[in-house]
Amino acid sequence: MVPAILLLLAIIVSAGMGAVRLSFGEVLAALLHPSAAGDAGVILFTLRLPRVLAAGLVGAGLSATGVLFQGLFRNPLADPFILGASGGAALGGAIAVFLFPSLSFAGFGAIELLAFGGSLLAMAIVWSLAKSGGHFAMENMLLAGFAVGTMLNAATAALALRQEESNPGLRILTAWLHGEVTVPSWMQLSFVAVIELVALVFALPLARQLNTLALSEEYAAQLGVRVKRLQILVVLTGSVLTALAVSLGGLIGFVGLLVPHFLRLIFGPDHFRLLPSAALSGAVFLIIADTIARTAFAPSEIPVGLLTAFLGGPAFLYLLNHRQRSSSL
Amino acid sequence: MSAILEFRNVGFSHGARNIFDNLSFSVEHGETVALVGPNGIGKTTLLKLAAGLLQPSSGEILVRGQELERWGRRQLSCAVALVPQYLEVPFAFRVEEIVAQGRVPHLGFFGGLTRADHDAVESAMEAVDILGMRKRVLSELSGGERQRVKIAIGLAQQARLMLLDEPTQHLDLGRQIELMDLLRKLVERGITIVAAVHDLALVREHCSSAILLTPHAPALRGPVQELLRADLLERAFCVARPSLERYLATETFPPRGGEPIAPPDPESKADDAGSQRRKNEPQEHRERLWRKDELLRCRGCRRYSRRPRSWHNWDND
Repeated sequence: MVPAILLLLAIIVSAGMGAVRLSFGEVLAALLHPSAAGDAGVILFTLRLPRVLAAGLVGAGLSATGVLFQGLFRNPLADPFILGASGGAALGGAIAVFLFPSLSFAGFGAIELLAFGGSLLAMAIVWSLAKSGGHFAMENMLLAGFAVGTMLNAATAALALRQEESNPGLRILTAWLHGEVTVPSWMQLSFVAVIELVALVFALPLARQLNTLALSEEYAAQLGVRVKRLQILVVLTGSVLTALAVSLGGLIGFVGLLVPHFLRLIFGPDHFRLLPSAALSGAVFLIIADTIARTAFAPSEIPVGLLTAFLGGPAFLYLLNHRQRSSSL
Repeated sequence: MSAILEFRNVGFSHGARNIFDNLSFSVEHGETVALVGPNGIGKTTLLKLAAGLLQPSSGEILVRGQELERWGRRQLSCAVALVPQYLEVPFAFRVEEIVAQGRVPHLGFFGGLTRADHDAVESAMEAVDILGMRKRVLSELSGGERQRVKIAIGLAQQARLMLLDEPTQHLDLGRQIELMDLLRKLVERGITIVAAVHDLALVREHCSSAILLTPHAPALRGPVQELLRADLLERAFCVARPSLERYLATETFPPRGGEPIAPPDPESKADDAGSQRRKNEPQEHRERLWRKDELLRCRGCRRYSRRPRSWHNWDND
């Protein structure tokens, strides 16, 4: 409940911030009576709101994926960026942008579809590399994620180098590689929002089973959980969420690590409670971060991915050190 | 009495390695059965087979007279509880939340705990005396407390058959005795127990019967006194007869009624003489490196030796 109210506040306040500053009341009035809003309405509905909502969707998707992958790998350091899933999604999206710009499949954009494929591929590779002798060794997971992520990002960069300067896709790709939230069309926004909501609802029962998986794979199987099926469904759902987040915001790291970690300190480790609160708080977190990114150094913007890296990197190192000392969080 | 667990000609192989081959035994309601055998012989595998986590490659396993394939997975989890060797939880779940996981096979589609589920969790925690540590995190608990948490999960499952994998491992003497007393209490509540245990003194004190797994020999099933004999243990654990008898004769395992557990073996004397001789051998002879094909290899413990010793399972005997 509290995160939901915070989310509404964050959307309204953030939508007012920018070169043309709108007060809380002005934004609220424009939202309630869109036709009477005038210039403020144009700014709000074509620029500000799509960007703010996109940041919210990206944050929600990445945080929820963080919770899912952390439960899957039984490791609080798992995150779509660290595991290379974001890198896979970016490469898939880049292939769609440059090679099949006009392709679409049953209403799904080629970008989202190939991003999903890329994310899934990256997860499959990291999964098989990280799993040794029936359990996930932390070092294997981090090393495999690092190696796969670096390779995929290099491939994406190589793809960008081969394009001509005039290619409009280049702008999108640069934004992705830096982790910049773009201003999407309302069409794209609503498409992402619907799929993301469906994926989150689908993930809720999985989150409950992740609590059982936390004991161990053997324990979960002994307690009647179909472990293989659960793991596959979590990888699929996580890949969908990652692909959607990357299609709007590119490579934004550490959100899936930071947000669930702080929520665990407040709500405890129960994945079932963590998932919805992480989605809401992740949205709030990235809306705030993105607002800072686009206003703090006005008139120029910095990519929000840089900001989360500055915040998330130290948190990651802290967690790594903490885990080495006590082996559990 | 009817069998709660029955293995009929069960075979199981892991890759190229044949772990069981034609294993048959049964466990009756209310028994406390010790599973005894050397490391790597397949005690854990046997327990996992009985819990339905592994599928036998041949033969069949019956729980309460019904083949395992005909049990639903969740239904089986309500009938058989496996208590694995280790419990490591990477997140800061509290003890009560961990014990509540034992209710998972009983829950409905939405997975919420009902009043009955909460009661089952409470009484499971009460039975193993961990109510006082319900709010604590697993990583803060000692080895003995952790074992009790694991057993509480099994109790919350409300299974009538509990399979324990080395429950006394890494416990000090007092905690071992407490744990075995706890198992006795469970038996009084009508729970059948199959436990892999290494400590033979505990087996003899607390178990009604045993299953002895010996490398490359059929598993033996019977009362503890009949199975824990020097001549059987010698081959099962690949240990020298004199050392084994010294162990069995000490306070760890005092013979009851003044009778020796097994008649002294004439071979063992000969072997003692052999070791005397070996000590007097010239130095260069002892330090010679032996090629593997010159040596005999034990099928049980996989050690090499150049002289056949009676307690090993040599390939050519």
